Amino acid sequence: MELAKNLQTTINKSHGKTDLYVDLAQSISGILLVGFLWMHMLFVSTVVINPALFDTLSIGLDKYYLAQFGIPGTVLLIIVHIFLAGRRAPLRLRDLRIAWRLTRMMNHYDTWVWAGQVITALMIGIMASMHLWTIMTSWPLRAATSAARVASVGPADHSFGGFEFPFFIVFYVIFLIVGEYHAGFGLYRIFVKWGWFERHKMGWLLKGITVIIIALGFTALYTFTQIAANLPAGGAIH
Amino acid sequence: MSAKHTFISDVLVVGAGLAGNRAAIAAAEAGLDVIILSLIPPRRSHSTAAQGGMQAALGNSALGKGDSPDVHFADTVKGSDWGNDQEVARMFVETSPIAVRQLSQWGVPWNRVVAGKRKLPDGREVEDTKDKEGYITARDFGGTAKWRTCYTADGTGHTMVYAVDTVVCKMGITTHDRIEAISLIHDGVNCLGVVARNLRNGDIVTYLAKSTVIATGGSGRLYAASTNAVICNGAGGAICQATGIVPLGNMEAVQFHPTGMVPVWILMTEGARGDGGYLLDKNLYRFMPDYEPKKKELASRDVVSRRMTQHMRKGLGVDSKYGPHLWLDIRHLGRKWVWSNLREIANISMNFNGIDPATSLVPVRPTQHYTMGGVRTNKDGAAYGLKGLFALGEAACWDLHGFNRLGGNSVAETVVSGMIVGDAVAKYTLGATQNYNYKLIEDFVKIEEERIKNLISGKNGRENVYDIKKGVENAMMDHVGIFRTGPDLEQGVAKLQELYKRSLKIGLRSSGQGANPELADALRQPGLCRTALSICYGALMRTESRGSHSREDFPKRDDVNWLKRTLAYWKEGSDLPTLDYEPVVCKELPPGDRGYGESSAAGKDK
Amino acid sequence: MRQLTFSIFRFNPNIPGDKPRMQEYKLEEQDGMSMFVALTKIREELDPTLMFDFVCRAAICGSCAMLINGRPRLACKTLAKNMPSRITMMPLPVFKLIGDLCVDTGTWFKDLQIKTEAWVHTNKKFDPKALEEKMDNEVAEKIYEPDRCVECGCCVAACITANIRDDFIGATGINRVARFMLDPRDERSDADYFDVVGNEEGTFGCVGLMGCDDLCPMEIPLQENLAYVRRKMAAAGLKLQFQGVKVS
Ligand SMILES: Cc1cc2nc3c(=O)[nH]c(=O)nc-3n(C[C@H](O)[C@H](O)[C@H](O)COP(=O)(O)OP(=O)(O)OC[C@H]3O[C@@H](n4cnc5c(N)ncnc54)[C@H](O)[C@@H]3O)c2cc1C
Ligand code: HEM
Ligand code: HEM
Ligand code: SF4
Ligand code: F3S
Ligand code: FES
Repeated sequence: MELAKNLQTTINKSHGKTDLYVDLAQSISGILLVGFLWMHMLFVSTVVINPALFDTLSIGLDKYYLAQFGIPGTVLLIIVHIFLAGRRAPLRLRDLRIAWRLTRMMNHYDTWVWAGQVITALMIGIMASMHLWTIMTSWPLRAATSAARVASVGPADHSFGGFEFPFFIVFYVIFLIVGEYHAGFGLYRIFVKWGWFERHKMGWLLKGITVIIIALGFTALYTFTQIAANLPAGGAIH
Repeated sequence: MSAKHTFISDVLVVGAGLAGNRAAIAAAEAGLDVIILSLIPPRRSHSTAAQGGMQAALGNSALGKGDSPDVHFADTVKGSDWGNDQEVARMFVETSPIAVRQLSQWGVPWNRVVAGKRKLPDGREVEDTKDKEGYITARDFGGTAKWRTCYTADGTGHTMVYAVDTVVCKMGITTHDRIEAISLIHDGVNCLGVVARNLRNGDIVTYLAKSTVIATGGSGRLYAASTNAVICNGAGGAICQATGIVPLGNMEAVQFHPTGMVPVWILMTEGARGDGGYLLDKNLYRFMPDYEPKKKELASRDVVSRRMTQHMRKGLGVDSKYGPHLWLDIRHLGRKWVWSNLREIANISMNFNGIDPATSLVPVRPTQHYTMGGVRTNKDGAAYGLKGLFALGEAACWDLHGFNRLGGNSVAETVVSGMIVGDAVAKYTLGATQNYNYKLIEDFVKIEEERIKNLISGKNGRENVYDIKKGVENAMMDHVGIFRTGPDLEQGVAKLQELYKRSLKIGLRSSGQGANPELADALRQPGLCRTALSICYGALMRTESRGSHSREDFPKRDDVNWLKRTLAYWKEGSDLPTLDYEPVVCKELPPGDRGYGESSAAGKDK
Repeated sequence: MRQLTFSIFRFNPNIPGDKPRMQEYKLEEQDGMSMFVALTKIREELDPTLMFDFVCRAAICGSCAMLINGRPRLACKTLAKNMPSRITMMPLPVFKLIGDLCVDTGTWFKDLQIKTEAWVHTNKKFDPKALEEKMDNEVAEKIYEPDRCVECGCCVAACITANIRDDFIGATGINRVARFMLDPRDERSDADYFDVVGNEEGTFGCVGLMGCDDLCPMEIPLQENLAYVRRKMAAAGLKLQFQGVKVS
């Protein structure tokens, strides 16, 4: 064992346990976020069953201060996650170029999936901020307000030539797919790294879950538009 | 001009296979400064291709019980057809168990004895006993009385090479890979080192040392169909022979392995038959028991190869566009056995032939496999002719194998001789001093630089190196095969002489700049022609049959006239080797019956 | 038989003024033609300057890895019949280029051995008279599994992380450490191993891209082995934390 000390430990100062914690924290942040997102989707989907249930849950969250702590907590988690997971992404231009070229050349499935992970991460970064902003600025959450938002035509000002664009519905469809992709495959990669399950079977399972959740999301979005249609005319908020 | 760099060490080892690396460790353990050269990263050396295993008389496995160095000794001598040096064989069999155990401590994951009864494919039931459980186990191999071949699945060479190289790494021994030794530096008495070419950039460099150890492997690639790696061309022996004073021993002793896979000539390990595989002919008939009732498929390699050839000559081979072949059948071993214990060959037949040996037959034919001959050394590994020059491993004729090597005895030889010769090298080097005569060294460098210049400019001619290389490969196949005859060999010698002369007139088609591969081939080619001639001419002059050297016109072993070893020298300017002979002394076991093979079968008929 | 077009990366850094380029060669396909046969033919018949590495030509030694149609493969076991008629060949990335299709895997792997101290660490002296230590056959087989790595470098070339982080030891490196962790003869403690791979250059640098696992020509179960090391190192790190052991 003397050699071990001579070569590695004595000459090179290693990083102690930091790298371990950072890696653990990255995986944990990922798992928590996936947990959050899937819960969130189930929560939103309650609107399909009954808008009243949606409202009850929302009221409940507020009443027990779950929202007050949960939302800042989630935001914080996202920020932490961005720092932790983000450092894995090719950040330098040189790295980006190498990664892109090799990914295209090799045409290897999991590597493509990872490229998607990085791209969706960027999109989530932007879209989640917008999403949170719109949610926060029209607190509290109620089925009716959400429906109105989902169905609203914006953000273009009508005075600009009456250009109409169903912004939010398109936004949510993209956001939904991007978010679920990132979460589903993110979880897949965590399992791959820690080796808890056989990777191909587990991949299919997670893909299944992701498809179900996306389907659920679509139904919820559809329900929101139906609710919006039944709202009193001009029921759009703001 | 002089060499770009000069490296000086106590010991210079040329070759980083099992033999070279193991000897380097022994020298470094003695506190010497060692440099190892290799054409390629050490772990890619051909030793890594050894599949089946390493022989050592441990006697742990069920059918290894009662084994001892004495039994191993007798097997080895019989295998060699009394052509080997029995003193060397004795040292070898005594040391081999130690070597296996040391390798175990270094990390080779030898397969171990698992207690319990099991049924062999031939119906025999064997039982591994509880007291041996966990000790190193062994499998059956050709020409052995006991199960003696220790193995790690069928990647034995790989695990051995890696384990030995970890020790080289650990000890911090300097290894220079992608360096090719192209000539020896010597003053007619002492060997001073080598002139080498850097295969990364084409630079000429010199390595000077008190002792130089040649461990460059075999020369199988002189044949068009060989199981050997493409770098196994005998160049190490060739540069020694080129001195004019160092002889190659027994070059006519060339082993053909029974089961090279058609048509890529990759080896299907003897372990396949050791584990219970059969050889079948075109009628899917198992023919070996007819020829060799006792050992069947597991007679020694020379015998099985000849029997197979004989059988194909009777028209019982399977016709293919690559000529007739036979089948190797391991289907009855079962999928689990095939894909665990014979996984490498299962992969190979899958990858290269699209055949799953668990369900299909594998086409095989005897294929050049091993060079028993090599740089002739004494039992310390010291080469004849020059002080401070040593050789070991397949490159050497230490003469453990005589005229036929037993499967599993070669990787064993590399590590055992690595220990023994390595210690002798250390002892010699510790007592040696060296005077470097730089004028002499520069002269040797100049010769090589002159050769390179001439090759590039085409001063001596414009012969194409690859035409000559192919010519040699085909001549060897056609004239120096499993069965040999006088007239055939004479033609072979004539062809090879012609090719040798042409090889001196090679001119490059490319610029030869940098690490140019054509230049590397061109520099080697004359040496390869000389080695080929030594094989062919040696075979022509040896008018008897012994081990793998089988003369149809002299079918009997002739102990009265031929209990001797061929020494092939190359005198400058000559176009044939000068042959000399030395007696083979049978110190322990006088010449007798091998117990298998043609003479034995003939004896039974009477 | 088809006519094959080989588009091969050419660049010899030792020839002044030489520039990287792709060069085309045409060959008639032959029965059972491997890239070894094809490249040898090109060198011997069309272009004797072409540099490439083959040693065993039997997928045993790991010399001949290159990018064939973009993927790292062993050229010797890549058969023309499984390829389209246009075949591109590039040297492996990450490793230092020697020329054309040759890269210096030797130096890279040697550094790796030293960095990971890939040898059995033991304080036992070898006793030539003693019997070998016993070992379960199952353990031996377990060690052999990662030990089968031939250091071809495919997993390194196929890994984006290894391509962009010079110090990452790659799947082969982590797998090599797994081999010693599984080996009871190696007396290193978890803390020793943690020193070697419990960091970003080692196990915690792996992102789980699985190019290694899918493209390893020896089909070593790299995912399993990588995960094994990661779990073991995480457990070791946490345990050391609770025991108050400081890792240097
Ligand atoms: C397919 C196959 C399977 C085999 N299986 C078995 C088996 O199961 N059991 C068994 O006992 N034997 C087996 N053998 C035989 C055995 O593997 C070899 O005989 C043995 O490994 C040779 O080892 P070596 O160290 O002498 O040479 P090698 O391992 O061939 O090493 C030669 C070294 O010399 C270097 N070198 C060569 N020329 C030069 C030069 N000019 N300058 C610098 N360096 C040079 C090379 O780079 C290499 O490092 C097998 C052989 C083959 C071909
Ligand atoms: C702005 C927002 C986000 C950014 C920039 C981001 C970025 C990234 C990046 C770059 C990765 C790849 C790193 C790796 O493979 O190790 C990643 C992984 C991951 N992300 Fe995100 N992410 C964001 C939001 C989210 C959200 C909202 C979730 C959950 C719903 C999430 C879940 C995951 C998971 C599970 C992983 C895998 C982690 C791992 O491999 O250890 N991310 N993220
Ligand atoms: C923590 C704070 C969050 C709250 C309170 C919240 C709340 C909501 C609500 C109420 C809706 C319904 C539509 C609407 O009102 O506009 C919704 C939709 C959605 N949210 Fe969030 N969200 C939060 C964070 C996130 C994050 C971080 C993501 C990202 C990954 C996300 C992804 C989505 C998606 C994809 C939809 C569309 C749902 C559907 O398709 O049915 N949300 N969210
Ligand atoms: S792990 Fe596989 S791909 Fe990587 S170097 Fe080893 S054999 Fe090659
Ligand atoms: S491709 Fe690379 S990132 Fe990890 S899983 Fe394999 S080493
Ligand atoms: S040449 Fe050995 S692996 Fe391809």
